Amino acid sequence: MKIVFRLALLAAAAAFCFWLWTILFPSPEKIVLRKMASLASTATFNADASSLARAAKAGNLTDFFSPDAQIVLDAPGLADHTFSGRDEIRETALAGFATLNSLEVKFLDTTVQISADKQTAEVSCTIELNAGDNKDYGAQEMHFQFRKIDGAWLITRAETVKTLS
Amino acid sequence: MQNVNDPRPHWLRVLAVGRRPKATLVRIAVLVVTCFVTFKFILLPIRVEGISMQPTYHTGEIDCVNRLAYLRHEPQRGDVVSVRLAGTSVMYLKRIIGLPGETVAFHGGRAFINGQPLDEPYVKFRCDWEHEPIQCGPDQYYVVGDNRSMPFELHTQGRADRDRIIGKILL
Repeated sequence: MKIVFRLALLAAAAAFCFWLWTILFPSPEKIVLRKMASLASTATFNADASSLARAAKAGNLTDFFSPDAQIVLDAPGLADHTFSGRDEIRETALAGFATLNSLEVKFLDTTVQISADKQTAEVSCTIELNAGDNKDYGAQEMHFQFRKIDGAWLITRAETVKTLS
Repeated sequence: MQNVNDPRPHWLRVLAVGRRPKATLVRIAVLVVTCFVTFKFILLPIRVEGISMQPTYHTGEIDCVNRLAYLRHEPQRGDVVSVRLAGTSVMYLKRIIGLPGETVAFHGGRAFINGQPLDEPYVKFRCDWEHEPIQCGPDQYYVVGDNRSMPFELHTQGRADRDRIIGKILL
């Protein structure tokens, strides 16, 4: 009985250590998933958010992107757009945040694939937008490329995916 | 007040866990596992949103997608199917009008398959869509909504790869 108890205690201690290890040293997948969640919350703002808060959010948004990042949009009902570099992304975000009443961004079905050298990651997800204006923005499949730059995972490319060609 | 010598369990306990609690627990476990397997792998519950499938399906309707519908045969023309995006949280609900290898075009609001007009009794709202022929690949199906009163550019439609078709709508 004593041995069983000790073994159970040992197993519990091992499980705790493993859990602690995953908290202290998360896998690259988890880091990228957290980045995506953080990106969604940074892009989300309420209707009562001040202009200053919106501008700050637009500024913070660029921290997720590498200096040479590209956003390529080609979705039904929208004109094709390509935004290159942090400055253009910030300006577009500033303009967008100023005109929208509010914005809620959700990334659904997010899957992360880390490359063998653990320096790049491919992320697929469905983005759902709600701008609080009763307009149906639908859902859009997106693809992100992340690269580890100076220890931080940054988006180098974000593009819409044509689900139906 | 219940007699302490009465071997019968209290009626509240009987109501909560039955006369044989172990058997009740087993039944609950079986029910939970059955529901999980059914609604995760066989019937995918969905809530319809948007107007592209009107008047066949309306916003707010609840339905299920049969994921086993195409185990024995491939999707057929006229089937209403769900097409996944990155996953199954959000899916397109569309009708198949073009099969692999076929050419789909729209002239005067009518769909043409390989140059022949397609009879579509489910289309109630006519339109004036004009679109050049599009050829489906060997593993592609042309899907479109029943509501053709929307402008062509705003109506999500096109060729869907076979692996994106999750299943057929149940009702």
